[in-house]
Amino acid sequence: MIREQEFLRLAQLDRATLTVWIEEAWLAPAEQDGERVFEEIDLARARLIVDLRQDMGVNDQGVGVILHLLDQLHGLRSAMGELLGTIHETRAAGREP
Amino acid sequence: MKDPYEILGVARTATAEDIKKAYLRLAKKLHPDLNPGDTRAEEKFKEVSSANDFLSDPERRRRFDAGEIDAAGVEKPAQRFYKDYAGVSGNPYETEAAYADFADTDSFFADLLRRRAAETRRVRGADQLYRLEIDFLDAVNGAKKEIGLPQGGRLDVTIPAGIEEGQTLRLRGKGAPSPGEGEAGDALIEVSVRPHPFFSRDGGDIRLDLPITVSEAALGAEVKAPTPSGAVLLRIPKGSNTGTVLRLKGKGVLRGEKRGDELVRLQVMMPTPPDPALEAFLSSWRPTAPYDPRRQMEQQS
Repeated sequence: MIREQEFLRLAQLDRATLTVWIEEAWLAPAEQDGERVFEEIDLARARLIVDLRQDMGVNDQGVGVILHLLDQLHGLRSAMGELLGTIHETRAAGREP
Repeated sequence: MKDPYEILGVARTATAEDIKKAYLRLAKKLHPDLNPGDTRAEEKFKEVSSANDFLSDPERRRRFDAGEIDAAGVEKPAQRFYKDYAGVSGNPYETEAAYADFADTDSFFADLLRRRAAETRRVRGADQLYRLEIDFLDAVNGAKKEIGLPQGGRLDVTIPAGIEEGQTLRLRGKGAPSPGEGEAGDALIEVSVRPHPFFSRDGGDIRLDLPITVSEAALGAEVKAPTPSGAVLLRIPKGSNTGTVLRLKGKGVLRGEKRGDELVRLQVMMPTPPDPALEAFLSSWRPTAPYDPRRQMEQQS
């Protein structure tokens, strides 16, 4: 778990930017005792957003679109993983005498 | 590394601007987070970014062009991308939006997803590691300690008697909460023990060097000896020496059902500053039996 101060330092963000990103739902940190707390995945996501905006020249509207598609993509990937797992289980069970 | 110009697909005469443009064009295509299932894209992305790093340094580029160095790029530490975190279960951002329509019409699929959602809810919280430094005597006798948590709050820790340096205590359910409704993780507390000014540990035994006077050594005496559970009276036999080890039964460390001993090693101390009376006595002293503590040593050499 990472607290806000530490998160801002690690992601090299200022507080105002972070607030905008959270309002845009690009980041969704958990809350504990009225304070925002972050996980590794939030940090990696913040770094991706920085990559998109700075290195790849994506504008803010584009970032939202990309993140939304990525979240769907990861949803699909895990559903596919689940599906594959189930198929393997079923096949293994089918082979038993 | 291959030729960095070739990797980026630019001419040797390319300007810094051209190089940057070529890199960004490739990065957009190859960024691992935009190709989460494609390891080849990730490999190429690494190649492209180290080629870009290499050529963005004008001095390195000049020396490479002059044939002074080859393009052995600096290995960067393995970078972890968003996809590495997003691909594990419990990603709070992922959504079913892309396949919700299948789930609506296919009961087999819907079933599977329900099961999966239930599993995600049951995911256990992460374990959290803390370090705790305790006093030697607390390690021997056991103690109750409190750890202040970085996110506020406190953790009560019971140190069992006999704990050793580097041992880890596990507090069930005191780690991170589950992302869903599963049980919390554990708090793991790695204990380190501060050394004691005169006690040391040897498994279940406590070792202590106990200084005694010349007369206590020669004549025998009862002296107070510290033990981890308080001082006790120790009988020093007549004619003891530096190095004589006396055993105090049951004054060591409790380990399981058994308690170790305290091993007291005597250390004969001459008076400081030297005492003229003792000097006067020793210069007139004639031992009744020959007395050569080095005889054995000389015989063996």
